[in-house]
Amino acid sequence: MPINNPGRRLMRSVGLEFVAKKVMGGGHRSTNAALSLTSMIDFLVVTVVFLLMTFSASGEVPQAKGLTLPKAENALDMIDAPIVSVVGSQILVDGSPAGNARAVEESDRMQRIDELFNMLKAKRELWKQTHPNKDFPGVAMLQIDQNIKAVVVKSVFQTAAFAGFPNVSFMVDKLPGSGAH
Amino acid sequence: MGGVSVDGGGGGKRKSLDSDINMIPMIDLLMVTISFLLITAVWSHMSRINADAQVPGPPRPDVEQEKVEPEKQLHVMMQSEDKFVLVWKQGSTTVDQIDVPRKDVVIHAGNQDVIRFPDLAVKIESEWKAKGQHSNPTDRKLDQAILHTDNKTEFRYLIGVIDAIYQTHRDMNLGPKTEKMPAFNITFAVN
Repeated sequence: MPINNPGRRLMRSVGLEFVAKKVMGGGHRSTNAALSLTSMIDFLVVTVVFLLMTFSASGEVPQAKGLTLPKAENALDMIDAPIVSVVGSQILVDGSPAGNARAVEESDRMQRIDELFNMLKAKRELWKQTHPNKDFPGVAMLQIDQNIKAVVVKSVFQTAAFAGFPNVSFMVDKLPGSGAH
Repeated sequence: MGGVSVDGGGGGKRKSLDSDINMIPMIDLLMVTISFLLITAVWSHMSRINADAQVPGPPRPDVEQEKVEPEKQLHVMMQSEDKFVLVWKQGSTTVDQIDVPRKDVVIHAGNQDVIRFPDLAVKIESEWKAKGQHSNPTDRKLDQAILHTDNKTEFRYLIGVIDAIYQTHRDMNLGPKTEKMPAFNITFAVN
């Protein structure tokens, strides 16, 4: 039996004559079509440029559920600091419960919130232990719902200050079109 | 494949100067970059508004205190529903007092109403230009604004007023360059 060079062929038992014709040419246009990469690369480059322009290195800050932040125009970029959230009647420090806002609201009197004070003081002590040769920055971030009453805001603000966090920042949503300074 | 023609002309039997650039690594790089940027993208634009609680330190009887002339401070009172009261105080002495009619401007941003006080911002800026003490770019200290509010006011109104106070900016030398910084530092009145 002669040995032949291998070539393009399909098994005869498979009823795909039209494929065989296409593969072999058969007088028709080839099934291999060149894909133009220019438009695809253009699209990819534009996408990369857009994403790089909107890229933020400051990262995402977790937002408590059910909380609507107020919007402001003259705002600064975020920094890394303990987050005190006030949502409904709950006061949270980095997600852990730290007091009740309803009691403060009902008393209608600015006061020190003991549970919050103790938690923030513990955070301060921990920071000092882990950074023995550095000055404590004393920065806390207040993440407060826009409908919370001023007495609660002032009480949390004052409690944070007494616990050793005098540099308080209020978290806001940046108004569209405004730039952070 | 993308091709780059570097036709040298001449022809003959020399090897062709047309060479192909392999586009696959470039497309791979673009794809990986897009994936990274999409995964690390932050779509919520959170920011912060600064405040300073100005807590005095414990008294030190061993250190003799220098008598320093108290600085002027701007007290912004928002207890009234129809006006703001701006009071410049030096210590306990009232230097000047101005009433600013209160006009709440509500801006609809998405499904949220934003409260703004543009008239108050303009008035505070003109007041600071006239009476502010720290306007020199080399001066790192800021003028102090103290916000007085009643207990029932909602937080978004406080932010509206704080935003209006922070609208006043001044130049400040930070190292070799000069930057625009807020002219005031804000704190809350205790009462």
